[in-house]
Amino acid sequence: MNLVLAELSRLAARRFVQLMAVLLIAAFGVTVATTVAGSHRPTTAEWDQAEQEVQLAEVRLEQLRRECEQREVSATFCDAYLERQPRIEDYLFGVFVFSQEIDELTYFMIAFLALFAFLVAASFVGAELTSGGMTNLLLWRPQRLTVLGTKLGTVLAAVLALSVVASVLYIGAFYAISEVTGVPGALDGEFWADIALTVARGLGLVLFAAAVGFGAATIGRHTAAALGLIATYSIVWEIGARIVFEVVEAGRPDQYMLSSYIGAWMDGDVSFYDRYVNDQYELTWVHAAAVFAITLAVIVGGAFATFRHRDLA
Amino acid sequence: MTAVIQIEGLRKTFRTMRGGARVALNGFDMTVEAGQVHGFLGPNGSGKTTTLRTLLGLVRADGGHMSILGQPAPGALPEVAPRVGAIVESPQFFGNFTGRRTLRLLARAGGVPAERVEAVLTQVGLRHRGDERVKAYSLGMKQRLAVASALLKQPELLILDEPANGLDPAGIREMRDLMRELSAAGITVLVSSHILGEIQLICDHVTIISRGQRVATGPVSAVLSGFDKGEYRVRVTDLARAAEVLANAGLPVRKEEDHLVVADVGDSAWITEQLGQRGMWVSELTPLTPDLESVFLQLTGTMPEPGAPKQVDEAVKSGPIDLGEQP
Repeated sequence: MNLVLAELSRLAARRFVQLMAVLLIAAFGVTVATTVAGSHRPTTAEWDQAEQEVQLAEVRLEQLRRECEQREVSATFCDAYLERQPRIEDYLFGVFVFSQEIDELTYFMIAFLALFAFLVAASFVGAELTSGGMTNLLLWRPQRLTVLGTKLGTVLAAVLALSVVASVLYIGAFYAISEVTGVPGALDGEFWADIALTVARGLGLVLFAAAVGFGAATIGRHTAAALGLIATYSIVWEIGARIVFEVVEAGRPDQYMLSSYIGAWMDGDVSFYDRYVNDQYELTWVHAAAVFAITLAVIVGGAFATFRHRDLA
Repeated sequence: MTAVIQIEGLRKTFRTMRGGARVALNGFDMTVEAGQVHGFLGPNGSGKTTTLRTLLGLVRADGGHMSILGQPAPGALPEVAPRVGAIVESPQFFGNFTGRRTLRLLARAGGVPAERVEAVLTQVGLRHRGDERVKAYSLGMKQRLAVASALLKQPELLILDEPANGLDPAGIREMRDLMRELSAAGITVLVSSHILGEIQLICDHVTIISRGQRVATGPVSAVLSGFDKGEYRVRVTDLARAAEVLANAGLPVRKEEDHLVVADVGDSAWITEQLGQRGMWVSELTPLTPDLESVFLQLTGTMPEPGAPKQVDEAVKSGPIDLGEQP
C-alpha cells in the first residue's frame, strides 16, 4: 500500500502528466465551446418546419416500402424502410441534438483518452528507467516484479479513474448543452444502455493503450521506444503492409490490422468485403478481445520477463 | 571479525547486440568486516560501480558468490535491504519534488517512520533547504540529499559510490566528519571515491581494483607500508659531494635538481652523522612515505607520463596481491 501511494504521488507530480491533463481539458473545452457556438435553441417556426418535414418523410418512406414489396418477394426485406422512423431532430439544422451526436463525440473522447493513457503510461516508466529513478527505488525495494507491477497497476488505476470522471463530465456537459441551447432528442433506456456500453468499451481500449505504452517503454527502456513502436507499426504495417497485400492480391488484409480489431471492439462487430472471393466477412468484439489479449501477453509479458533479468544502469 | 560484505570470484561480462563482449569483473574478491570504513578504489572503467551494482542486485553476475550482512546476495536482498543504505553513482530524484517530499516518499515506500526525514535532513545539512525543489539544488546539495536517502533507514551497512561528487571543500569535510560519526556509531561504511586523499583520511581499510580484479587489499597503513622504500629527501649545500659520501656507504642515491633522494635508510641519524663528520650540514631530512595516490597509480599502472596520456583500458591487469591483510 505504501508503494502504491508513493507511486501515485510520483505520477501526479510528473510535469508531463500535468501537461497532458491540461491538454485533455483544453481539447474537451474546445469541443464543448465549438458545440455551444454552433448550436441554438430551435424557434417555433423551425419546430413547425421540422414537423412538416417529418410528415413528408414518413409518406415518402411508406411509398418506397410499397414499391419495394411490389418488386421483392420478401416483405421482411422491405421492412427495413420502417426500421428507423424520421424524427423531428433530423430536420433541425444548426441545433445540437444530444441523442444524435453524442456517439461521435464519445469516440473522439475515447481516442483522446487512449492517446493520453498511452503517453502517460509510457513516460511514467520510461522516464524512470532513463533517469535512474527506478534504480533508486529498487535499492529500497529490491523486488523487481513487485515494483514494476505496482507501477503498472498504479498507472492503470489512475488512468481508469481519470477516464471515468472525464467521461461522466464530458457526456454530462453535452447533455447540459442540449438542454440549454439544443435538443436532447430521444433518450430512452436503450439509448443510455448503448452509450454506457460504448463508454465501457472505450475504457477497455484506454486501459489497453496504457498497458501497451507501459510495456513498450519498459522493453525499450525509454519513453521514445513506445512512440517508436506506434510510429513503426503504423507506417510499416498499417500502411506499408496494406500496400503489399494489395500488390500481391492477398485476401482479407483487414483481418491482419490492429485498427480493424479496434473498430470491431468499439462497434461490437465490423464487416469487410473480400473482393477476391466476392464475399463479406465479419470481425466481432470477441475476436478483438482475443487479439488484445495476445498483444498484451507479448508486450506486457515481455516487459516483465525482460525487466526481471536485465542489468539496470 | 564478521564479514559484512563477502565477495568471492565475482565475474561479469557485458555483451552487446553485435556480439561484442567486455569483461568488467574477472574473479573479483572483496571482504568488508563489521565496523570498517572501507575504501574501494580503482581507475575509471575498472569495475567499481559494476561491483556495487551487482552486490545490490541491479546487475546480474555471471559467476561468483556474494553475501551482505551474512545473507546471500542478491537472493536475500529483499530481507536485508532495510538494513542497507546505498547510493550508486549520482542518484536522480524528481526535480519537481522538494527534498523533504522526496525523502518522505522514500520513507513511505520503505516503511520508515516519517520522523527520520527531519533527522537525516539535519544530519546532511539540508534542514533549511528541505522545502526547495530538487531541481533548484546544486550538485552538492543533490549529493547530500542522496546521502540523506541512504541514511533514512538507519542502516547497519552504508554503501556510498562517489559520495563527494560535486561537493565543495566544506561539503567534503562535512562528508568526512559524517562518515567518521557513522563509523563511531558502529555503522560499516563501504565508500568508493576518486579523491584518494579523502579515502586516506577517512578509511581504515582499502581495496583496489584494476580491470576487474583485486590488486590490493588490507588496512590502509599496511598497503602504504608495502610501498615504503625507506627513502629520505636530503638537502645540503654540496649535493655532489654528499651523494658521493652516501653512495660510498652503499646507499642508493638519486640526485634531483636541488636535493638528494636516498633509499634503504635504516636510521636517519646515520645520514646526519656521516655528512656532519665531513663538514656538510643537513638543512632538510624528510622521510618520503608513499601516499595512497602514488600507491594507487603504481598498482593500477595509471601513472601519467608527459606527452603520453593513459587510455582507459591501459590500467594494470594482474593477479590479486594481498598487501597486509590483517589476520
